[in-house]
Amino acid sequence: MGFCGGDPAPRTRLAALAAIAAALSAGIACAPVSGPRDPSDPWERMNRGTFRFNEGLDRWVIEPVAKGVDFALPDPVERSIAKFFVNSRIPIHFGNALLQFKPVSAVEDLARFLVNSTIGFAGFFDPASHIGLEAHQEDFGQTLGVWGVPAYPYLVLPIFGPSSPRDAVGLAADSFSTVYPWFVPLYVPFAIGVGDRLNWRSLKLDEIASEREAALDYYVAVRNAYLSYRENQVRDQKDEVTDDEDLYYID
Amino acid sequence: MMKISTTSTELRRRGLLRFARTAALVLVAQMSGLAAPGAGAMTESEAGARAVISETVDEVLAVLRDKSVPTEQRIRSLEQIVYGRFDLYVMSRLVLARNWKRFSEEQKAEYVEEFKQYLTNSYGSRIERYDQQEVEIIGEREEPRGDVVIQTKILGGEFDGALIDYRLRKQEAGWRVIDVVIEGISMVSNYRDQFKSIVSTGGPELLLQKLKEKNAAGMVIDKTSAK
Repeated sequence: MGFCGGDPAPRTRLAALAAIAAALSAGIACAPVSGPRDPSDPWERMNRGTFRFNEGLDRWVIEPVAKGVDFALPDPVERSIAKFFVNSRIPIHFGNALLQFKPVSAVEDLARFLVNSTIGFAGFFDPASHIGLEAHQEDFGQTLGVWGVPAYPYLVLPIFGPSSPRDAVGLAADSFSTVYPWFVPLYVPFAIGVGDRLNWRSLKLDEIASEREAALDYYVAVRNAYLSYRENQVRDQKDEVTDDEDLYYID
Repeated sequence: MMKISTTSTELRRRGLLRFARTAALVLVAQMSGLAAPGAGAMTESEAGARAVISETVDEVLAVLRDKSVPTEQRIRSLEQIVYGRFDLYVMSRLVLARNWKRFSEEQKAEYVEEFKQYLTNSYGSRIERYDQQEVEIIGEREEPRGDVVIQTKILGGEFDGALIDYRLRKQEAGWRVIDVVIEGISMVSNYRDQFKSIVSTGGPELLLQKLKEKNAAGMVIDKTSAK
């Protein structure tokens, strides 16, 4: 249950690669789905296929490379790099906080960006948190959520992983509204995205390995975690009473 | 034709209204959050539940810090501390939800035992990764039907800033934890989803068999944390 912290997926314009991956994964036989259908996952058969493709990609390519990264860099350095990537996305978070009518979060994000980009050495350190400026990490998927678009149906994207139509649109919108890639060759944002992803993965080696091994059904565990995590991000009023009749009272 | 266009205008107007209402609500929530962060006195229930979490956290951290004791023994102490404050019976039952009724009395007892072992195996190995983190209790709230949620935050290390909520229910013996919610991800809900499809395919027998297989394989060891 440790899929928390940081953005769910690094964002770059990997459209071309994603298309290739989609074509590849379509050719992989889907697992037969047994048991009741989850109402939030009507595409379970297809999703399980894509999930299996992503797992294969991770096992044979991403995880081994991430292990190399982990071997080369000490954890505090990796965490610092992760902070740099998060900081570089704050302008996106700022814009989305505004679109969600959260001026306080927007101002706080802006202040974080200014503090961390300067005395935080381009974002590698996070002095803003030490002076009580909280991170908000609003993205366009969450903005659509605040506007009333639900997080389901669940959709597993090739390479990018767990998502939904809402969050896929959000991912695309956030990528296109990032200004700098329009002024540099395509491989720059691409390389940044890959770097972000590999660094993130190298921080999650233990976590993901033990989740994989412990789960009775890893696909379902990830789906539940993703949908709950996103819903929680959209809600983000942490003090909201959430008495969940279905979950906590079964008689 | 006329009728259709009226309806769509009507719909659009309603959509706009709902949009405006959402906007207003969120704005108010933001502003009030700024004015009064977590004001208000604690209820008796909240204080009771909070005391249980605060004791548990202190005891757990004490065990985690003392690396001179062998791992196996520390896991046993943690089991004692944690399971003493968890209501595993209620938790196991909530995980099965409606399927609980499909289990015979013997199967229920067996399942609660296996589930407990499964939790130990899944989380026990993580104690090696403890790295001087602290836990801060940041809030509490009473739910409409009497449960209390205690909100905590991890300080330092790999999960710096992670929010973990504990949901407690008042039992005869005192306040007991019935769910742990990490960044919105509920343990009960996550296991419920996983177990649901297993029980519906193979009944209680298949779930018990799968849990036993996992438990027989032993503790989930972090193979990657060799460094």
